[in-house]
Amino acid sequence: MNKLFFSICCFVTLQSSAQDQRNFVKENYTKTDTLIRMRDGVKLYTVIYIPKDQSQAYPFLIERTPYSAGPYSSRNFPQRVGPNEGLMKEKYIFVYQDVRGRYMSEGTNLEVTPYIANKKNKTDIDEGSDTYDTVDWLLKNVPHNNGRAGLSGISYPGFYATACLPGAHPAIKAVSPQAPVTDEFIGDDANHNGAFFLLDNFSFMNYFGAERSGPVEDYSGLVFSEDIKDAYQFHLKMGNIKNTNSEKYYNHKSVLWDEYLQHDTYDAFWKARNIRTHLKNISIPVLVVGGWFDAEDLFGALHTYEAIEKQSPANNNRLVMGPWTHGAWASPSWTKFATHNFGSNTSKYFQDSLETTFFNFYLKDKGTFTASEATVFETGSNQWKNYENWPPKNSTTVSYFFNEKQQLSLKKPVSKNKYEEYISDPNQPVPYTNGVFSGRNNEYMAEDQRFAAIRPDVIYFKTDELDEDLTLAGRISVDLLVSTTGTDADFIVKLIDVLPDTASTPKDGSNSLSMAGLQRLVRAEVMRGKFRNSYETPSAFVPNKIAEVKFDLNDVAHTFKKGHKIMVQVQSSWFPLVDRNPQKFMRIPEASNSDFKKATIRIYHDAVNASKIVLPVLK
Amino acid sequence: MKKYLTLIVFTICLLQLTAQNKDSIWVTENYYKIERMLPMRDGIHLFTAFYIPKDTGTKHPILFNRTPYACAPYGEDKMNRSLYQTYWINYLKEGYIIAIQDVRGKYMSEGEFIDVRPFNSNKKGKEIDEASDTYDAIEWMTNNIPGNNKRVGVFGISYPGFYSTMAALSNHPALKAVSPQAPVTDWFQGDDFHHNGAFMIMDGFSFYSGFGKARAKPTIYSSPGFEISSADNYDFYLKTGAIKNFSKIMGDSIAFWNHLMKHPNNDDWWKARNSRNFVTNIKPAMLVVGGLFDAEDCFGAWNLYKALEEKNKNTDIRLVMGPWFHGAWGGGSDGSYLGNIRFESKTSEYYQKNIEIPFFNFYLKLIGTVRDISEATIFFSGENQWRKFQQWPSSKVEYKNLFLGENNQLTFDESTSKNITGSFSEYISDPAHPVPYTEDVHLDRTREYMTDDQRFAGRRTDVLSFSTAILQEDISLGGLLVADLITSISTTDADFVVKLIDVFPDDFKYDEAALPTTPMEKLERTVPMAGYQMLVRGEIMRGRYRNSFEKPEAFVPDKITEVKYTLPDVAHTFKKGHRLMIQIQSSWFPLADRNPQQFIDIYHCDDSDFKKATIKIYHNNINQTKFILPIIKNK
Repeated sequence: MNKLFFSICCFVTLQSSAQDQRNFVKENYTKTDTLIRMRDGVKLYTVIYIPKDQSQAYPFLIERTPYSAGPYSSRNFPQRVGPNEGLMKEKYIFVYQDVRGRYMSEGTNLEVTPYIANKKNKTDIDEGSDTYDTVDWLLKNVPHNNGRAGLSGISYPGFYATACLPGAHPAIKAVSPQAPVTDEFIGDDANHNGAFFLLDNFSFMNYFGAERSGPVEDYSGLVFSEDIKDAYQFHLKMGNIKNTNSEKYYNHKSVLWDEYLQHDTYDAFWKARNIRTHLKNISIPVLVVGGWFDAEDLFGALHTYEAIEKQSPANNNRLVMGPWTHGAWASPSWTKFATHNFGSNTSKYFQDSLETTFFNFYLKDKGTFTASEATVFETGSNQWKNYENWPPKNSTTVSYFFNEKQQLSLKKPVSKNKYEEYISDPNQPVPYTNGVFSGRNNEYMAEDQRFAAIRPDVIYFKTDELDEDLTLAGRISVDLLVSTTGTDADFIVKLIDVLPDTASTPKDGSNSLSMAGLQRLVRAEVMRGKFRNSYETPSAFVPNKIAEVKFDLNDVAHTFKKGHKIMVQVQSSWFPLVDRNPQKFMRIPEASNSDFKKATIRIYHDAVNASKIVLPVLK
Repeated sequence: MKKYLTLIVFTICLLQLTAQNKDSIWVTENYYKIERMLPMRDGIHLFTAFYIPKDTGTKHPILFNRTPYACAPYGEDKMNRSLYQTYWINYLKEGYIIAIQDVRGKYMSEGEFIDVRPFNSNKKGKEIDEASDTYDAIEWMTNNIPGNNKRVGVFGISYPGFYSTMAALSNHPALKAVSPQAPVTDWFQGDDFHHNGAFMIMDGFSFYSGFGKARAKPTIYSSPGFEISSADNYDFYLKTGAIKNFSKIMGDSIAFWNHLMKHPNNDDWWKARNSRNFVTNIKPAMLVVGGLFDAEDCFGAWNLYKALEEKNKNTDIRLVMGPWFHGAWGGGSDGSYLGNIRFESKTSEYYQKNIEIPFFNFYLKLIGTVRDISEATIFFSGENQWRKFQQWPSSKVEYKNLFLGENNQLTFDESTSKNITGSFSEYISDPAHPVPYTEDVHLDRTREYMTDDQRFAGRRTDVLSFSTAILQEDISLGGLLVADLITSISTTDADFVVKLIDVFPDDFKYDEAALPTTPMEKLERTVPMAGYQMLVRGEIMRGRYRNSFEKPEAFVPDKITEVKYTLPDVAHTFKKGHRLMIQIQSSWFPLADRNPQQFIDIYHCDDSDFKKATIKIYHNNINQTKFILPIIKNK
């Protein structure tokens, strides 16, 4: 959902395009813009790039966006149109539309517009109906179209792509939701398992939450101005979430921010915004795309795919997961990330071999599309893998138990009353990244976790050196037996690949960090403890009483190489990525500074209370 | 812009290289080298290299450096690169004879090497010490080196700084000027291997595993140290565990390590190795030099000067302290920055041109003047200015208490806690998770940690941070800083680390125009300077020595106890708009070894002896922790 990222992405694209590509759009496409009338009379601003070569008919490739369909003047051409350069050269009628209530479109924008299953009249509109009406208009009004349309989009536009699927216009023949915003309470952007993603949202809503009085080419500015230099310090000083609405910051000037703070459980508001429940009986070919290092919508990609697979089993539904950050598959080159070196250009592979062939085949009947059900990049071994199912059928769950002496092993503990404990102090929370950053350190998802392991409020368990490679493919779950002296607590579980002390550091100078002993994060997730039994009805912990906290971590495709160790770290804050839990059972958006209390937390690992992580091991 | 910068840097390097080439040619054209074995009074010979001007028109003074680190390169056809790659070239252009000697028992010199060999104030007959070796060497060279003017100066940095102090005690009449620089002075109290009784394990282990090996016979080769099979010192030192495990790695052949293990307290053995105890009747002019941010011998420079001053009322003694790491002023750096902190001028060059060279010229060549060199020339970081003083500590110092308060406050207002009863801050110090001394994973002890950003530490649950309100005016500190902690601990021993920190304003940034003119070293990460928490001075105190360094004492668990100790002098101005911060913690790893937090023999205890302790620091009407700051009244 991060706008900044897209500007960077575009910038990279522009840079890499050779000089002679610069005028490609202008030389090969005619640009028109128009207001398309929806069934309720609201008009949506739409830009259409039509190939100048009118010797053949073209399909539509549509992106619906809340981030502006611009550039707005018909004389201003972007340097690229379409999801990738190959598709631009292939030629489609590219359509960009400002969604309802954003930029130059009329109407009111809603957060992840709820889908209306049984539309009764013309005022029952949603993103599905807006897409339907748009496609309908395009077919009738744009000459030389071949009668077919496709949609794609990354992040929020990924949601708009998904949202066209239920009750789609029959001309829609191919849809690619990429890192689609899918469920903002359970796993995307706003919350993960009910824990609020403070860092991203505080800065994002400052831009996105700004109001307008009518259609605008540009929003008049941010909700508030703030030059954050040290995000950890800034948010700690903020003290509590309530203060984000103080005069200096949101001050109730953003409806969206107020909604976020108001809806702190999985209530009707959030459930109406979970598009997954409506992905039934889908018959349009779908290509879901996501990135293993996507800090925003990794959940969305995996769960959109899963929801279609489960509820529309006959559908032609495919998944692509690469070693990408949010949207990195759209960049011209992606060979490295953090301390990873993937050994090949993974984004180019995706664009040429999957994305372009997908749309060409379903919208133009051109070529073949033979991609497997799941095309997945395996980190650790750095190779693309093709599977007929996701998770693969030959992936089985294996429990790794926490044991004494920080051991992680297949052996279930046998002794009694064993635990590790730490004091979680909301006033000195565990940082999510090492160092001082003004915004989110995008590399945190693959960062060395040694900075955390050396803290007294982080516990860890690790296996011995592996005798052979161990590949994981699929979802991870954890089952913690915990107690706390407070009445609420967060639990962050991190799965880590520990490189051997003998690991050599590549001499290409790409990073100065020594690889020896690196504790590379593979996957991490937070669970807000009060939601352990229900996201709808939170429940307090009874102080010092053992409770079970069970939750999933997003899927991985990762090989722990022989000689490496598997490590699990557990901690109770992840700041300021996630807001602090006062460790007292209450509505957190109403907590005052004095509500934030230290708590002593125990993670049990004995015969009766055996905490474990369950890994999807590929046979 | 970046390209442009690179080009400039490249050009500068090129110019420097060209200049160095020119200088190296000039040296070979104007100097020759001889190597001689100098006879000592006990029949032992010390290997000495002489670089002598070819010019025989005038007599030349001798600059003499004694070292345990080899007077390499060996061979009369090989010139020492320091002669033309550092400011030493200035001495050569002035016509000095340069003498470099392997000390007794090291490299090509005969005899037995003894670490910081005790000074013998009452030598009889053929008894020797480092002072007598210096005497005998000066005697030989003033009589045998052609064209010398019988005026000798001795200088040296670090261990050679110790040999410089010992040279001053030789009382050779030809010795006119001595400059001990970052001199190893007291290895129990504050230099290199111990700070207030805490063992500086990382430096001690890595240095002595190589340096401490005895040689079979004179050699030009050094002994390699223990190769740590890790890239992460924190992990290596934690995994290795108790000190006795390090002793196992060392084996029993490292004599000095064995001594360390035998002498945990400041006993007579250590006192015999404390230069300060012997510096009486000094005749030559003295110039003591050190770095404010010297991670090794910061203590030695400040405190050797003080001992000299106290015991030699009529000697010409001067002090220079710059914003330097260990030896930066001798060519390691131009002294315009350290780590992330900038000093806005080339302080090393300033020192060389305005202080050291005029000093030796005056006393050895009898030219120029030393009138312009003040008693104490001290660089004040923060304001980034040299200040000159007629005495150190300055007569303008006013000692003022800074009190710990509730809510992480620091205040000068004594009445703050008047009505506050029982208040304290606490943390659990866990030897299994010691507080790192610096932020990033690395192997070798950094020299930049002395000015590092402390935000990483403030985020930990086992570090207390207290800070003042935003300062309304500059506060300059110059002199000793005293920490007066009122504490209680749940066990019988604990370490205390107090860090004085300058918190930069939230909108702080360096003026880009004031970028150092030499390329800054590549740091692991660039740290945003806004809100930077600059370490100004940090020091550790091993709690058991709170009442006496000779006789350690256990704590009574949970009993309120005073731990009062001094930190090495500071010279820093906290600018208006900044804040002054104090952090307190109980480990500083692996800089200092871990305290088992029990009153037991740390050097021989087991891994299982290391226990968690709850540490309380009090700030209330009865038990008020405070810091005594040396505030310099305005200029």
